[in-house]
Amino acid sequence: MNLTPEQQELGRRNFLKAVATTPALAALGAAAVFKGPVRGGPVRVGIVGLGGQGRVLLGAADPAYTQVLALCDVNPSRLRKADEVLAKADRPPAKHYDDWKTMIEKEDLEAVVLAVPLWLHADMTVGMLEAGKHVLCEKMMAWDAEGCRRMADAAKKSGRLLEIGYQRNYNPVYQAAYEGVVKGGVLGDVFHVRMVWHRNGPWRRKEDPPSPDYDPSRWGYPTFDHLINWRLYWKYSQGLAAELASHQVNVANWFFGAVPEAVLGSGGVYRYTNEAREVQDHVYLTFEYPQGRTAVFTSIESNSHDHYYEAYYGTKGTLIMRGETEAYLFDEGGEKKATSIAVTAKGTGPVTDASESRAADAAGRWATGSQQGVDRLVSYRNEVSGFCASVRTGTPLLCGPQKAMGSALACIAGNQAMAKKARVAIG
Amino acid sequence: MTSDRLSGLQQAALVVLRTLVGWHFLYEGYYKAVAPAWSRAGYPLGHWSSRGYLRAATGPFADVFHRLAGVTWLDMVDHLVVAGLVLVGLSLLLGLFTQAGCAGALGLLALFYLSAIPTSGAMQPGGEGAYLLVNKNLIEAAAVVVVSSFRTGRIAGLDLLRKRSRAIQETEALAS
Repeated sequence: MNLTPEQQELGRRNFLKAVATTPALAALGAAAVFKGPVRGGPVRVGIVGLGGQGRVLLGAADPAYTQVLALCDVNPSRLRKADEVLAKADRPPAKHYDDWKTMIEKEDLEAVVLAVPLWLHADMTVGMLEAGKHVLCEKMMAWDAEGCRRMADAAKKSGRLLEIGYQRNYNPVYQAAYEGVVKGGVLGDVFHVRMVWHRNGPWRRKEDPPSPDYDPSRWGYPTFDHLINWRLYWKYSQGLAAELASHQVNVANWFFGAVPEAVLGSGGVYRYTNEAREVQDHVYLTFEYPQGRTAVFTSIESNSHDHYYEAYYGTKGTLIMRGETEAYLFDEGGEKKATSIAVTAKGTGPVTDASESRAADAAGRWATGSQQGVDRLVSYRNEVSGFCASVRTGTPLLCGPQKAMGSALACIAGNQAMAKKARVAIG
Repeated sequence: MTSDRLSGLQQAALVVLRTLVGWHFLYEGYYKAVAPAWSRAGYPLGHWSSRGYLRAATGPFADVFHRLAGVTWLDMVDHLVVAGLVLVGLSLLLGLFTQAGCAGALGLLALFYLSAIPTSGAMQPGGEGAYLLVNKNLIEAAAVVVVSSFRTGRIAGLDLLRKRSRAIQETEALAS
């Protein structure tokens, strides 16, 4: 085609005029990519370990966020109970496995939820991450410090997400307390935290084997009792420090913005001396944080009057988090005026509507949970949904490996301190 | 009407109006096309279907839309709506086949308007304002009429290229 210089000039001008809208298109397109939706349906998930905790997480898995494709457990009766959870919620059944490796080979899973005994956390999590799966692993992070580090390294190397299941991070009451009280300095300087988890019982589960010829040794447990009551044996468990203290230490680390530097401990099997049990039934741990802050944890299995709570004692006020459902704020001023943190039962976000409370609170009497408590299961639902959202859209995890390790290393050291009846440095 | 009689500002305003309407259609289509999807804030958006919208239809034509919500071939309707939104959006954004794009936009907006003519004058649940007969669908349809009347594809857009290309071909044909 031959064009005169005039035609070429006209053509150039026409072209520039014609594409005048292109910059707007590019800018708006870029905006769409940045702010627009992320393609994809619910995250395809398998759950390994369908004991009590696994079934809570299964029940808390919102189908809008999570598509549960597979269930894995070495105990067939647990799988049957898990089926009932799905059926009760009118959700489709999931395939059954007794071996997690087979499960991730056969199923097209994006993520796995692990609710297995502590001694399995590290190997299983590393295996899952190396297989390209995102992992939500129940607390505590791992049985030992080396396991924790292997898990964190595997998450980093694989580029997959690893979240540890400390559900308080997703609890609206704790989020409200942190955002509305702790961050705002309402408590003043906090030098002391009391962490209590008191129960009156042996912590022993009773369950029949799924069949008379069931052989748990295939899975590393010499007897069925070792499988069902793994929490009571050192090989599989780190006892009350791992199962209970690590939750509350995790919160103290969060609220303090620090991890403890050392721990002193005492404890032992004082009540259930005649039972097949290795881990302590009474635990007393003192965690030393930087800047003279101290958190004292007690867990006893001989009295449940105090049940469980965390109390933060500051120079200006006291914050008490009770039973994962209620929070109270007491003013340290002259009249000891009390406030309560109102929480909503249905909301998923933090609630910080602090208000003047009744005299009964100031006198130290607990309000009943029905009026101001939050459903404990909301935390689990938020946790599983939040994890899936992170997988799909990259929203930040609330308890990744580093945060979880802070609590795990402290509690592992706590057991060492109890064994030595001495002060043990952490880290 | 030719662009020669319009000032630069008037021409720019018309093209901006067309671009905004085009963007609105394109993003609506894109949003429905990618579903099921998630918001960037981490909330699942679910699969999109016109069924809910049709079932909620009000006004004199509500019965027609309610019946449409129950047909077995609603999936096809959904695909057509998405394709229509995307094609209209691209047409108006790029200024390509602009008149056809305007016609498509008017057709879709007419459907949206007729399925929920605001006759109550009250604020609807989830709505951000109160409307009586005139709502944003109707106003957008009026904007499309303006865009179409001024033939904005000839002011700026790929229609200009088509037109020039055809003119050059005709000139060459005459010269040969």
